[in-house]
Amino acid sequence: MRAIVKDSIGVFSPQGFLDASSAQSLLTVEDIEATEHLKVDMVLVSLKKVIFFNRNGLDTFVKMLNKVRHSAQCIVGFCDVDHKKYEAINKFYGEEMNFSIFKSREVASLFASSFKNQQKNVLLYSDDKSQRSAIAIELHDNGHNPIVATSKTDFEEKRANGNYDVVIFDTYLGQIGQHVATRVTGNAIIYTVSSFLDNEIGNSFNIAYHNNSLNVGFRLFIFDAYKVVSMNIHALNFFAKLASSAAEYNATICFVGMSFEKTPQQFKETLEDAGILFFEQMDDILGNKELLHDLGASTAGAAKNKRTLNKVLVTELPRFIDATVLTIEMMTSAKAQKEAAQIEQICIKNKEEKIASSIGFYGDIDGMVILVFPTAIAQKACELLIGEKATDIELILDSLAELVNILGGKVKSLLADENVNVNITLPRTYATIDDLLEVTTNRKGVQVDLKFDDDKFLFFLTR
Amino acid sequence: MITKEKIDQYIEQIPPSPKALQETLHFLNIGELTKAAKVAETDPALRSYLKAIVNKPIYGFRNEVKEISQIFGILGVSGSQQAVYNYMIHLLSPSKWKLFELNKSSFDDLQAKLSTQWQRILEHLSIEDKDIESSITLLPASIIVTEALFNDKIEDVTLLRKAKELDYNTILLRLCKMDLFDICAVIAKTWDMPDIISQIIYAASGTRPVADKQIDLLGKWMHMLLFYELSQATFVQAGLNDFIEFEIQYVTEIYDDFATLMDIQ
Repeated sequence: MRAIVKDSIGVFSPQGFLDASSAQSLLTVEDIEATEHLKVDMVLVSLKKVIFFNRNGLDTFVKMLNKVRHSAQCIVGFCDVDHKKYEAINKFYGEEMNFSIFKSREVASLFASSFKNQQKNVLLYSDDKSQRSAIAIELHDNGHNPIVATSKTDFEEKRANGNYDVVIFDTYLGQIGQHVATRVTGNAIIYTVSSFLDNEIGNSFNIAYHNNSLNVGFRLFIFDAYKVVSMNIHALNFFAKLASSAAEYNATICFVGMSFEKTPQQFKETLEDAGILFFEQMDDILGNKELLHDLGASTAGAAKNKRTLNKVLVTELPRFIDATVLTIEMMTSAKAQKEAAQIEQICIKNKEEKIASSIGFYGDIDGMVILVFPTAIAQKACELLIGEKATDIELILDSLAELVNILGGKVKSLLADENVNVNITLPRTYATIDDLLEVTTNRKGVQVDLKFDDDKFLFFLTR
Repeated sequence: MITKEKIDQYIEQIPPSPKALQETLHFLNIGELTKAAKVAETDPALRSYLKAIVNKPIYGFRNEVKEISQIFGILGVSGSQQAVYNYMIHLLSPSKWKLFELNKSSFDDLQAKLSTQWQRILEHLSIEDKDIESSITLLPASIIVTEALFNDKIEDVTLLRKAKELDYNTILLRLCKMDLFDICAVIAKTWDMPDIISQIIYAASGTRPVADKQIDLLGKWMHMLLFYELSQATFVQAGLNDFIEFEIQYVTEIYDDFATLMDIQ
């Protein structure tokens, strides 16, 4: 069984009855290894569809979670637990519990770095005073507004009378990892760093992902450093180097919420000299559209990025088109066809009512695949993932991101058949064509018009 | 991935039930066990299947049961009908499984386990009805249908399920507006199985509201039983644990009763 990853949270969803033998059959050594290599903020085991479990059944998952927490430094635990299950897990593990328990995935996501879930009004209650404080601090650090109920009665009263986005109870916060979490918001990438920054940052920071993000057009990188206690000279050197490599792409690196109480003030000056900007609040950047524009989060046409298609990429073009055609056929059961192909700058005649999604790849070859759909056609292409007629644009964009993610997987597997090894980036979506054109300005690539069921969409392969 | 045409093709290929089976079932229906056994003897494959099934440890007979008349005598009318229906479903199973790590023997084991546990449940519910007893036999057909439709789409399904938590039933329903249980009902119709069997199977999908209280209750028990068996290590390893979605809300009200009956602690 493998975890399904969404918004940087990997979730295992076993079903039915969980005892020692079924749990061991569900989780193989390969599954555990694959989970350790997931670059996610959180790994959870959902108990939503488990009707019975015993300690031996959970032990297999707890061992896996501990291993993952240790190697990937991410938050681990169980989610989707009702009161009975919460009590049972507490009874089984008591003081030994170093994993977390979240009432639901929604509650868990408040502790991950997904920007979508920030600034929520959260009512929380736990019998354990230290848990109440720990949860409140984490929520606050993640940009939420926690309201703490001090007793069961207080909780019931507040719950009945207040209007909260999320209510937290039956939740336990175990050890929080030190993983450098990544999230994408608009055209900015936010990395979350915490605790003590030393030479470990070189290992925990995914430099290949960062470089590829630069290649695919991201220009603003924000380090969410609210939880950083201090930084040493090794980390300072690391960030200074990162800043100089970003400068080649005309990209900006910012630190938000970094306190210099326990870090020499001189370090801040050195980093500023290297081009890094410092802000007190995340909202100072993300809430200020003009500043965002100035920092490059809405433009992406940097000189270094204007790379041309090379022979290797053009040679592999049929495999990219095959992957797209096969993915659309798989998602719709309709026959997809190629219509016309040309090498030129991306050209979209009618920008209205269209959305797009892209995914980057890097490794033996690198580049980016972009799909542009009329909104209604995107909805049709994603019907298998959405399941119902959805009009919510956020839901359609989310599903389109899942579709290009599947496409990325298909590309990866088709290229692997030819001994070309690539990794794929997180998918990115564009609610308007203008957003997309900001990233692809002046880029040449192969544009292919495709259609399924007489519905046309556009494929673009660029570097 | 899967089209309605592919489903139609699959349905067209379902063979009519062999004449010997039809006659055996006819005699069982009118309670003529001896005549039914005589007809069953003429079909060597049925004879060997029944012998293999009844001598599985789960049936708990100390000595080997060899004669069909003996087997039918032990199983009684309803048990014999159930065994013959199990054989019919077994005929649909592939010679080589690709999607699920099963083989003839492990599939037969699953059939036998479901059948004996279902009998235990019906005794607990004080229900004596040979058609209701036989309804469990159609349930494993959903596994065979999944194997048949998806066995050449393993890579696609793996890619899809990496991105989204989707079971085979939902994939089929969303792509073809027809699910595994609809196909099971078509099989039941092709083989002239009593209507109540399809109705219970529909209820056991856990996804369709059922007005009839008894069928709804039986559907809950059958849904729970299926996931109880699919949580056994052999079937988890076979990849069956999440082939359809476990509708936990649907079965919660009978869980305590089920746990007591199955001695789950």
